[in-house]
Amino acid sequence: MDTPDSENPAEEIATETAPEEKKICMETVSRILDSFPSRSRRYMIPMLSKIQEEFRYLPEDVIKFVMKELNITRAEIYGVISFYHQFRVTEPGKYIYKLCYGTACFVKGAPIIAEKLKEKYHIGQGETDETKLFTLEFASCLGNCGAAPMAIIGEDTYGTIDPEKTIEIANNYSL
Amino acid sequence: MSTVVKKTINFTLNGESISAPEGTVILDAAKRKGVFITNLCSSPKLKPFAACRTCMVETVVDGKKELVYSCTHPVSEGMAVRTDTEETDRYNKACLEMLLVEHPLDCPICDKSGVCPLQDNTDALSLYNGRFEIQRRNEPSIKTNPIIEFYLNRCIMCGMCVRICDETQGVQALDYHKRGYKITIGTANEEPLDCEFCGQCITICPTGALMDLTSEARGLASMFTNTETTCNFCSWGCTFKLETKKGQLVRIEGDETFDVGINEGNLCAKGRFGHGIVQNENRIQTPLMNVGGEFKEIGWDEALQTIAERITATVNRSGPASLAAIGGETLTNEENYLLQKLFREVIGSNQVTNLNHLRAPYINAFQQKCFEGGIVSKPITELEEADVVLLFNTDIPSEYPVAGNSIRKGAIYTGTDILIANPRNVEFRHESRTEVRMTYKPESDAAVANRISRILIDNNLINTAQAKQVLPNYDAFVQSLGKYTSQYTEEVTGVSDASLIQAAERLGRNADRFILIGNDIIETGQGEAILSALLNLSLLLQHGGEGSVNIYPPREHCNSQGVNDMGMVPETLPGYRLQEMNQQNLVADLWTNCSQGAIKMLFIAGEDPCRSSSQASKVKAALQTVPFLVVQDMYMTETTRMADIILPTCSYAEKEGTFTNMTRHVQRVTPAVLPEGQARPDFDIFGDLAQALGKPFTHTSIREVQKEIEQVALSYKGTFPGKKSAQWIPTESGIKPEFALVEENAAEAPPQDYPLKLITNNHMFHIGSYSHYAKALVDIGPDCVAEISNEDSQAMNINSGDRIRIQSETDFLEVPVAVTDRTPPGVVYVPKNWVDVPVNKLRNGHQGLIPVRINKQE
Repeated sequence: MDTPDSENPAEEIATETAPEEKKICMETVSRILDSFPSRSRRYMIPMLSKIQEEFRYLPEDVIKFVMKELNITRAEIYGVISFYHQFRVTEPGKYIYKLCYGTACFVKGAPIIAEKLKEKYHIGQGETDETKLFTLEFASCLGNCGAAPMAIIGEDTYGTIDPEKTIEIANNYSL
Repeated sequence: MSTVVKKTINFTLNGESISAPEGTVILDAAKRKGVFITNLCSSPKLKPFAACRTCMVETVVDGKKELVYSCTHPVSEGMAVRTDTEETDRYNKACLEMLLVEHPLDCPICDKSGVCPLQDNTDALSLYNGRFEIQRRNEPSIKTNPIIEFYLNRCIMCGMCVRICDETQGVQALDYHKRGYKITIGTANEEPLDCEFCGQCITICPTGALMDLTSEARGLASMFTNTETTCNFCSWGCTFKLETKKGQLVRIEGDETFDVGINEGNLCAKGRFGHGIVQNENRIQTPLMNVGGEFKEIGWDEALQTIAERITATVNRSGPASLAAIGGETLTNEENYLLQKLFREVIGSNQVTNLNHLRAPYINAFQQKCFEGGIVSKPITELEEADVVLLFNTDIPSEYPVAGNSIRKGAIYTGTDILIANPRNVEFRHESRTEVRMTYKPESDAAVANRISRILIDNNLINTAQAKQVLPNYDAFVQSLGKYTSQYTEEVTGVSDASLIQAAERLGRNADRFILIGNDIIETGQGEAILSALLNLSLLLQHGGEGSVNIYPPREHCNSQGVNDMGMVPETLPGYRLQEMNQQNLVADLWTNCSQGAIKMLFIAGEDPCRSSSQASKVKAALQTVPFLVVQDMYMTETTRMADIILPTCSYAEKEGTFTNMTRHVQRVTPAVLPEGQARPDFDIFGDLAQALGKPFTHTSIREVQKEIEQVALSYKGTFPGKKSAQWIPTESGIKPEFALVEENAAEAPPQDYPLKLITNNHMFHIGSYSHYAKALVDIGPDCVAEISNEDSQAMNINSGDRIRIQSETDFLEVPVAVTDRTPPGVVYVPKNWVDVPVNKLRNGHQGLIPVRINKQE
């Protein structure tokens, strides 16, 4: 949705399924906005969180819709989105690879894990690999230093990772 | 009410007892007493913010000492404030020191150098050696838009640009992005800036992080020569500084000095970036004479001699009344005064007019009726204290952008109610809690105003008995309102009666009311009826309500008001003194009289009627027929090409005098650069012509002519400005309050094949066609784009970006189109400023909005 295609409305209409999909997606957003006491900017942050839970990121069209509904400008909504790291404006991979980069994990080899991931998937911090399998995020601390180095992939938690087995673990996941 | 009296608070500042109104923050109170407190993020135009943390002061209240930020902390009774203790200095210094760790000290190439608050504060705190290692940022500057450069290394995150964009301009194109040490100012997603390009952010930026890309000079603003003058675009009349360097006009800046001008340093895109029209190679360099269709350069002596001989010959052959003149809406008062004097006294012809008057002679009458009815209207500087503002058929961000700034300020600090009546759904973002939208059907303006009047009377929102006592034709007026029942009005205008009742209630309260009218009303062909309806509404409020009513006639150009004040109209002498007409009024129907040979010689001072007139082909026929045509202008236009002699004139930046804005403020025009080529001020040309005709004027300097004007136009007495502008007040007012009873013309049924109405006015970045000579304005507003509604676009399968053909009964044109929410169904909007999109040709004499049809071009 954030591809250059969306900038060209003509092309969007050209593909037959697109308008139908768009309608469904806006209905969901509308429902989310209506679950709040009013469509007011004071609820912007929880609204965006709920929308992201639904879509896993904030698609451009949805941002435009929210801007219009809450009567806020593009600069303002992006100001909020860029303030909070958990808001994403690009489609993430199927699994979010949260690698702990806290002190303990760092010392125990988090950088090596990151390096291995870079080698295999060509992704750095905040990046998504080409197949859209993983999005790599560095966490400041995941709160389990006893099990350093650790990572959370999707919903699964991994502790005391042997950095050499990074790829083995990653191979458990596929599209 | 804006008239709430605030309590006075007594307190001490550095030991001295002073007082200030309740709610004043310490910083402002100190500033008024001339005590400087270091600060970087405070402006009297903006809400307190406390971003920079460098304005700490010590306060003692009831023996309790506290350190507070003076930009957000209001004064309280008995408070003892100290601004210069060792402790406060230490804190303020520490904060500033942190800023200087990152701030590049590239002062010699910085646009703000010398006028930089960061420099001033650093010096005030004697902060010469920081304790920290310098870690300067070195990011490339961002130049993704044609006008404003972002050099964020200098940014100190004070947020002034973000706040002025939001609070004053209502655009909010800028905001803080990211956070922590990565925080930055900018646009959403680092996209190119796309906004109203008012440039407010450049003026307010304290450090030169935002710079004017149109300026050719970089660095050391303090070395530029500043000339304070008045803008020459719209009729709002903003004061600004022309900044010159070595004889070149390099930049225009707002002047935020307290109480200078009417605009508090606010400017719009046209005013700030339109300086390209001054020093431009396309200007006419020498007088030109039309020799068999080709223009030949001639000297001034020859030109003036030829004109003088021709004038004498024409007077002798056909009498003085066969010479006519069109005054200039962008000429100064003094120049227009001399032109009418040249015609009335030297030549003996009363055939003087101006294009605004020619099209809408009822505007001057409206102004007189306001005065007679006792509505004098306050200085426009009080707009920011208005309780209610009615914006009638005016698209504020395009037409009077700086008025919008004052209204937004009022909305924040006075709680102004905003009423918007417009056939288009125009954008106007503000922070007022009350906005009443009356989006009416095109050409039903008068019905809206009349219905509001009727509601005021029917619902007893005003004291009708009191109004009846003052206004003799009250009953006749009430009778004329008979047909404006809620049902009829709703049918005609499409506005719900509830909205109109809400508007009437807001207007009826005890309030200071301001009514701003757009020039669009002239285009509807119902201008007279609309102005009368608004006049009647104002009279009702003035005499039946409490508070004040302020209503100003719509004017388009910088001196559209002054040209009328100076008597460039056949009916009245300078100062609207009535005169005995001993000549037939030939200029009332000037173009016909030119074509039919009654006018033998025509003088046009700085106007281009071929383009701007609503009767293009009639004008062309007239100019072709008239035996001798003299045109004074800065640039070649369609009109100059038809002239026999063209005289090159000076721009506003090269001449002296005054402009009078639409709210009657007489404001100074000061020369900043030398004239281009051999161009001369119109003032000198008229003086020399009088001399060549053997009857030289007795007064030849600007000051002497101003004195003369003060004597003949009594209302101008004492208004000629020194530094500050003054509003002229009519010598008599309230002498004959009376409703104007003008019937609306029955709306013509639209011709069958032309179902849409065309609305046209000035684009946000252009006015007339001369703004196109400013490169910067063309860069931000390059293309003429028509606008249509969503409904019409779907019905006709037209998308944004398509080209459409707009066909009227007489002509057609082709433009790209955009589908917008601004445009209601049944309306096509086209800005009128592009030479290659001559919208006026579609009109060609038609009164009222032009019926058109559109087709998609493949």
